[in-house]
Amino acid sequence: MLDGIFTGLSTAVMPFNLMMVVVGCFAGTFIGMLPGLGPISAVALMIPITYGLDPSSGIILMAGVYYGAVFGGSTSSILINAPGCASTVVTAFDGYPLAQKNQAGKALALAAYSSFSGGTIGALALLFAAPALAKVSLSFQSTDYFALMILGLTAVAAFSGKGQVIKALIMTVFGLMIATVGTDTMSGATRFTFGSLDLIDGISFLLLAMATFALTEVIMTVLKGEHRKEEQQVDMSKLGSMKLSKEEIKEVAPTIARSSVFGFLVGVLPGAGATIASFLAYGLERNLASVKEKLKFGKGSLRGVAAPESANNAASTGSFVPLLTLGIPGSGTTAIMLGALIAYGIQPGPRLFLDNPDVFWSVIISMYFGNLVLLVLNLPLIPYISKLLIIPRPILIPMILFFSITGVYLVSFNTFDIHMMVVITLIALFLKLLEFPMAPMLLGYILGGLMETNLSRALMISDGSLAFLWERPLTLAIISVALIVLIVPPVFDLFRNRKNARGPEAAINEGEG
Amino acid sequence: MMLTKDHIGGLVFLCLSVLYGYYAGSIDMLPGDEFEPFTARTVPYALAILGAVLSVGLLLTAKRSVENRLSLNGYDFALVAKLLLLIVCFGLALEWTGFMLATMLFLIAGFWMLGERRIKMLLLVSVPFAVSIWFILAKLLDIYLAPGQLYMQIFGG
Repeated sequence: MLDGIFTGLSTAVMPFNLMMVVVGCFAGTFIGMLPGLGPISAVALMIPITYGLDPSSGIILMAGVYYGAVFGGSTSSILINAPGCASTVVTAFDGYPLAQKNQAGKALALAAYSSFSGGTIGALALLFAAPALAKVSLSFQSTDYFALMILGLTAVAAFSGKGQVIKALIMTVFGLMIATVGTDTMSGATRFTFGSLDLIDGISFLLLAMATFALTEVIMTVLKGEHRKEEQQVDMSKLGSMKLSKEEIKEVAPTIARSSVFGFLVGVLPGAGATIASFLAYGLERNLASVKEKLKFGKGSLRGVAAPESANNAASTGSFVPLLTLGIPGSGTTAIMLGALIAYGIQPGPRLFLDNPDVFWSVIISMYFGNLVLLVLNLPLIPYISKLLIIPRPILIPMILFFSITGVYLVSFNTFDIHMMVVITLIALFLKLLEFPMAPMLLGYILGGLMETNLSRALMISDGSLAFLWERPLTLAIISVALIVLIVPPVFDLFRNRKNARGPEAAINEGEG
Repeated sequence: MMLTKDHIGGLVFLCLSVLYGYYAGSIDMLPGDEFEPFTARTVPYALAILGAVLSVGLLLTAKRSVENRLSLNGYDFALVAKLLLLIVCFGLALEWTGFMLATMLFLIAGFWMLGERRIKMLLLVSVPFAVSIWFILAKLLDIYLAPGQLYMQIFGG
């Protein structure tokens, strides 16, 4: 393990890779600040750039962008009450009231310190948890992999939100359907190409990710008319001091420690991710607070900023555990990274730890560097970076559209891909209007090919019998967990609905808690 | 009966699953595949069935509240249609006018559509942007960008 750590360290400290961390953090902070564009869109926009880099540098850049985007989202949450992404929505609850009291600087500093602590604790936990899990998963067979993929897909669907489980499952199946377009790798038969030569290689991951996340998110802001809103001027004179007093540090330190550990554990669960972690950590902190302190929540509580910020960064790190060790992404963003790794010819999973220790360890180590960059470079530069918020939307939107389109075109040099992007964007817009989540579709698409290969192997070995699902204890255990993960949220919802139906007051109390 | 977002989504995916299943039947099979436990049609058939079952599930459990109805008010569909058309035109322009000119025209038209009317601003942003992107790609990164058929026809290739 030490050899691996040193290999990773030597890769991560290469000047070019350090530059990638810095560039990634800055680019991510900028993109994450723009309302409507979150870490998924930010990472998707980076894919074409990473194609020209070696795998370690590419993934390091993406990890930097991921962290930067989460941090950028917090900045716009605090400064203009417009969260850049879902995982920083909670930060606005107390961050924006602090900004209104001319304490935006303090809120931003606290967000950065909390993110740093969350990321550090998360990175340390990842350092020990990932190799341990990778060693265990080395004994996995194709049946277990198939079961793991089922678990990953169902978990993402299950955590997709109240009343969204069936929709998320449908989107997962839709993604699996898209993955079958093109030439079947096992038999060589063409499927669903309708005679088009451009579809023989299937629909590319890059095209799908850019169309459904980058392009659709931007077009959605135009559809909602958000580009017409006046750019919010950030009054730098009202930022206030960025220093925290000793009492304030004492007040938030236990919160940061608790929320970081909690966030990491939530992040490790496939599908849970940073958004759920931030909401849960905020709720937990509020429940733990004294009656007097509880009243401050929502009006500018420092603990209310520290909890979600520590948790979302720790969860972002935690979501790398299932990605790096099992090849199952923990969130939509890590799903995109999984696709990028596969495009590099690297199969994330237990073998990654042995076959590509440089990638495995350099990603973990550069995550820590990423947190450091955010704290040391991004925080002091926030007054300047936030000026980017004043770029008029009519100028910014066509530029983002341009980067999304050319990102795909410059890989294939085929204008068919641009037209295909338009078609997929139209479909994605329609589905978004119907409130179908997009991340499960992308995850289904990415895991589709691997799942088919593993299912084929398992069926061939068991001579066409599905008994492999319950004959091997490990496979049975994973399938059982998948079923539990799938069944528990709807049952929980059902109980909550019944509880709410009993009395509105009970519902309000529960909601406040 | 009130048609909500869930109903529309369920119906769309039910139709998609049926069509997908229908076309799965036309996937070519290798000789002897009918005796194999796993063929190129296995997963598509399974997905078609799963998709249909889930769609029916969505239709049966669909929310029936008024708030869940699909409301298209307040959305600027005309502008989105224009922007998507602009992207299609950009794809065509790349082949005819080449990368740099296509980028300039795309940006100018995009800025204009989104409400920027100052000619100076349109040109001052789009021209340096397009030139610098072209320079980075073609000169610094040494990526070959075809000059465009129009250029080739006028100046020869």
